[in-house]
Order: sequence, then C-alpha cells, then structure tokens
Amino acid sequence: MTVIALIPAYNEASRIAAAVRDARSFANAVVVVDDCSRDRTGDVAREAGAVVLRHVINRGQGAALQTATEYALSALKADVVVHFDADGQMAGSEIPTMVEPILHGEADVVLGSRFLGKESNMPFTRWAANRLARLFTLMISGIGLTDTHNGFRALSRKAAQELTITLDRMAHASQVLDLIKVKRLRYVERPVTITYSKETLAKSQSSLRAFCIVKDILKDKFFTRV
Amino acid sequence: MFQIILVLFALFAIARTTRQYRKRKVSLHWFLLWNGLWALVIGTALYPKTADAVAGFVGVERGADLALYVAVVVLAYLVFRLFVRQEETERSITQLVRRIAVQNPERPDERT
Repeated sequence: MTVIALIPAYNEASRIAAAVRDARSFANAVVVVDDCSRDRTGDVAREAGAVVLRHVINRGQGAALQTATEYALSALKADVVVHFDADGQMAGSEIPTMVEPILHGEADVVLGSRFLGKESNMPFTRWAANRLARLFTLMISGIGLTDTHNGFRALSRKAAQELTITLDRMAHASQVLDLIKVKRLRYVERPVTITYSKETLAKSQSSLRAFCIVKDILKDKFFTRV
Repeated sequence: MFQIILVLFALFAIARTTRQYRKRKVSLHWFLLWNGLWALVIGTALYPKTADAVAGFVGVERGADLALYVAVVVLAYLVFRLFVRQEETERSITQLVRRIAVQNPERPDERT
C-alpha cells in the first residue's frame, strides 16, 4: 500500500520542513506543491525530503492539491493520498488513523474532524464560522458532517481519480464534499487534532473570508458551463 | 448638435471596422453585425420619429428610452459572456501551470 501525503504550500519556508518530516514518518512519500512562493518554500521542502512540484503562477490551494494528486496517482502510483497542511497545524501521527478505514475497505474518503472528541484550542469565532459553514454545506451539498472545512483528508486511489478539483482557491473544500455526494463515494469522519498558533491564525483564512468562499461556490453552481 | 456628433461617431466606427475587416482582423460575421448596429444608430439619429414608432409598437413611450433599455440588456448579456469566458481562461491557465509542474518534479535530496 503506497500512502502519499500531499502538501500545498505558499510562502511556508519557516514551517514546511517540520511538516514534511512529520508527514514523511507516516507516509511512503511526500509531494509538496510550491504555489509560486516568494520565499524558499520549494527548496526547503526538497531538502526535508519531499518531491517538489512548482507552480509557475500562483493558482491557489485547490489547484495545488489537484496538481499534487495527479502527480501522486500517475508518477508515484499512490494507493491512498492524504491531504496535509504545510504549516504544522496537523499531526502526522494521525495519518495512520485517517488511512485505516480505506485499508479496511470501509470508505473511499476519510475526513478529519475537529469536533469528534479530540481536544483543540480553537478560538470562538472560528467555532461559530464553522457552524455556519456546516449549515451552508448541508443546504448546498446535502452532506451532513461535523466539520466541513477540515483540510485533513485521506482518499483512496479511486476517490482521488474521481474527485477532480476545479475550484482553484479556497472553495475547493466545499467542492470536495459536493463531489463525494455526486460520485456516491463512501465517507467517514475521524477525529483529528488541529493545533492553532498565533502565526498560523494570522496567515490562514479569517472567518470573514468565508464570504469569498460562499461567492465562489455560488458562482460555480450557477455560471459554469459543465 | 447631439445628432451630428452621434452620426459622426457612428461613421468613424464603421470606417474603423471596415479597415479592420480589410486587414482580416475581424470576421465577416462581426463586420456585418457591428456595422449594422452603427447604421441603425445613424438611422435613428437622423429620423428620431422612426424610433418613436418602433418604441410605440413594443409599448415604450419614447424611442430614446427604448434604445437605452435595449443597450442595458445587450450590455448585461455581454458582461455575462465575458464572465464565462474569463472563467474558462482561468481554468486553462491552471491546467497549463499544472502540466509544467508535473513534468518537472524535483526529487528530494537523498543525503538527508
């Protein structure tokens, strides 16, 4: 079983090495997509032991994940791919727990959840924004989850082939859920720990950016020729 | 006065399009459509009464109003088309960037 961790990264030179090493201890290989960073993210990741793919133009996290997925499936013959974060919010030691339902043939997609018992230090505004996202996802995709915007996912080869992410920016998280429903993939949730630090909070999405995501999704639903 | 400016501008637009068509920069389809539109503008500018008649026929009081309404609808449609086209361009760029990335993987340094 080849398990490949996929890490989209943008200006993460200071944190990427730790994330790559962490993921590498629990996966057969790590693919980092450097989304046209201005710092040395790509070099640092390669030195830490990752295969690095470079976007020559910044295309966003969704696009980077899709690039990593296509490479992992074709060049590395991945049986399972794991979506992982560059900034050290996730714990590599939880990769085996995430992969397990796929190995046992219980699911095609395993989604991490911050609300299934494990402790984390999530700020209140985050919590509230997530509740709203949950409701929105239920209405739009008809998929009921405890945590809709968790970036920690594991996908079987089959699922990874079927889930083609076309929303380049942050709305891809919702698109993945949408596609799970459309392609009738079996999914389960597993508890994960996400550690929030001041640094990562400042960089990652503010709760207000949720509106941009909602806009992207609606745009996709109504305006895109399929 | 306004009529004269309008006619002059329309003639200018027709002249430009014709030149572009001669240079084969625009298609025949576009050439006819665009010039037809400007010919219509000249017509209504010189004979506003005809526009009023058409307007009356579709239930709008003045010809100038009708022209404005039609313009808004046409513009809205064009914006929509641009919007879709833009989205397609974005997707093409992503695919291009992806192909370049996948064709040039950088393997990890083995010494670590």
